[in-house]
Amino acid sequence: MEYLIHYSTIFFLFLGCFFILSGSVGLIKLPDVFSRIHAAGLIDTLGTGFIILSLIIHSGFSLLSLKLLLIPLFILFTSPISGHAISLFAHESGYKPKAKLKRK
Amino acid sequence: MAKNNPDSPKTISIIVYFFLLFALWFVLSGYLKSLLLFFGLISVVFVLWMSIRSKSLNYDVLPLKLLIKLPIYWIWLIKEIIKSGLTTTKIIWKGNYSPELIKVKASQKNNTGKANYANAITLTPGTVTIEIDKNTFLVHALSKELSEDLQSGEMDKIITGLHK
Repeated sequence: MEYLIHYSTIFFLFLGCFFILSGSVGLIKLPDVFSRIHAAGLIDTLGTGFIILSLIIHSGFSLLSLKLLLIPLFILFTSPISGHAISLFAHESGYKPKAKLKRK
Repeated sequence: MAKNNPDSPKTISIIVYFFLLFALWFVLSGYLKSLLLFFGLISVVFVLWMSIRSKSLNYDVLPLKLLIKLPIYWIWLIKEIIKSGLTTTKIIWKGNYSPELIKVKASQKNNTGKANYANAITLTPGTVTIEIDKNTFLVHALSKELSEDLQSGEMDKIITGLHK
């Protein structure tokens, strides 16, 4: 059981680190503001999500894990708002995305 | 300032907000002494009194009804986030992205439902809500696959069901 907790902690920590790494690579690699927001969203949701999951497994189930669960709950509400604010400001100030509008 | 329906029940939502705030205070502090619990009670009542006075409480949502539906919705949302997150990761490492702008119709009636739908679109990696008109969202998607996933309308239906 102890081995299971230990190795699953390491596994989820590495998974979270991998998503943060790919989000950072995307921040550099993608061409315009609107696409880079997607990469930042990847860090916000999957990166922090998996790292906090591994921390909960590591700490055991107690009041501390409830406190840790509050962090992704608050990120769930605040991260889309900041992403929307950046994209709305870029759109309002006349920055044209490379994508074309599809009508359907 | 929150806009409220005149016919939504106020006292019940204030009571539910009180219990939610007190649960939050208890989880964050973890104290069990009666004196400290009393101080927590005072601070929760003070916060509620201030937010009622400044009319910033939202009575649109009755949190009691949501408490049952919300965990199921969150599990579905996490599944969706992981699915589209894997697609986005693949696009980033391969480098063959083809972004699209699409317009999505929202069928939610109240403002809270629309805000929740826009939030869910932005939260799933690969799609970002840029602009909100009355009923249509302007959405930037990272690839054709992700935009078609959104246009199938599954997410719209589930969130409309959540706010009934």
